[in-house]
Amino acid sequence: MVLSFLFLSGTILLILQTTLLHSLPEWFGRPNLLFLFIVFLGTYLDVYKGAVLALLFGLIMDIFSGVFLGLHPVIYLVLFFLLQVISRHLAINESIQQIPVVALSYLFTASSIFIFTSILTPESRLYWAWGNEILQVLILSVICIPFFNFFHWLTTVFDSRNANNPFRRAKTGNRYRM
Amino acid sequence: MRKKNKRARQIRLFLFFGLLLTLFIILIVSTVGRQEFNAPHKLALEIIGTAQYGITRVTGSFKNGWQNYTALINVREENARLREELQKHKAVNNEYREAVATNVRLAKLLEMKETLPAPTLTAEIIGVDPSQWFKTIIIDRGSSDGAQAGMPAVTVEGVVGQVTNTSPHFAKILLATDPNSALDGLIQETRVQGIVKGGGATFHMEYVLKNNEVAKGDRIVTSGIGGVFPKGVPIGTVSKVEKGGRGMFQEIEIQPSADFSQLEHLIIVMKKDPLAK
Repeated sequence: MVLSFLFLSGTILLILQTTLLHSLPEWFGRPNLLFLFIVFLGTYLDVYKGAVLALLFGLIMDIFSGVFLGLHPVIYLVLFFLLQVISRHLAINESIQQIPVVALSYLFTASSIFIFTSILTPESRLYWAWGNEILQVLILSVICIPFFNFFHWLTTVFDSRNANNPFRRAKTGNRYRM
Repeated sequence: MRKKNKRARQIRLFLFFGLLLTLFIILIVSTVGRQEFNAPHKLALEIIGTAQYGITRVTGSFKNGWQNYTALINVREENARLREELQKHKAVNNEYREAVATNVRLAKLLEMKETLPAPTLTAEIIGVDPSQWFKTIIIDRGSSDGAQAGMPAVTVEGVVGQVTNTSPHFAKILLATDPNSALDGLIQETRVQGIVKGGGATFHMEYVLKNNEVAKGDRIVTSGIGGVFPKGVPIGTVSKVEKGGRGMFQEIEIQPSADFSQLEHLIIVMKKDPLAK
């Protein structure tokens, strides 16, 4: 249930990012929502579900972005496992710690794409635009806390096993009743 | 007992990560190695492309509605002016029609069928690359409409890009501004040839010798070499020339003819035998 819901959410974010958000003016910046979603998966979800989703979104991103198939699944999976390791050893689930994690993750992803693409096609000249990258980091840092809180709340709602789920059927105290 | 459980857990974890690593290696080898746009890719493009198409249509109709509303201001005066212009253009059009008919008749007579323009396909842009690194777009035409990988995409202003992947109803286009894009171009005035590469927002013309005359404002068009783009399609105008650096070649920056930030529709030039795939 949670897995299908998260898959659907990520797909909707990708569709919005490629259609509606593109009509925003360039100076305003266009937030990379799917990237933020991958960071959310890496910090909040367990390793099994999260890895499957990161791989699936990487494969889908390959269809809509770039020219090399396999680039996004590799980078998203590496990012996902790095975030899993970090979230196990550091208290990054607290809101304020999420900002540097998002910023560093974005810079890691951007530099990985830059390096991989430069290796795959050495004849093409890629341009690292600090202005665009810093703008994207700022936007992601601003929206990450409400974004994470919103999806954290939604996953709680859709997780039928979670005790905090307000839609979960209340059980009676009688344990012997059939 | 507790030790046994711990060991079993460690083995399970080891197996899981081993399996994941194997899948990871298979994935890298199969996808990066072959670079094949296979059936699952096409299916995903079909499903998500349909959703993109729907959203583009809905937002487009809202945008159109608002533009129509604002355009009502001063519409009467503009209408009168346009009617007057239409009368003039009708007269000019009649002359052109006659000239085109003569041209076609003469071309047939000379058996120059290959010089006749190739059939075209108009398409609407329904999705834009979500990343900042690549310049690709998704259009609402696919292999069922006749679009194939390798076909060039243009607008009335100039070169836009090239079709890279298709599904039955949608296609992906690599824009000419993408750093991975390269096409043969020539300077219209001097006929000096070079390779035009994407540079993000602009183009760069490479492999033009320093002794060749290139000036700011020179127009660059497609050379037709390689058979991908038709000859003479505008690429852009030279905005910067640098001869000071080391090496044999000069560095030329080109301002694109087509406005890539305002793209909404484009034309696919269909060919009998596209080069790629």
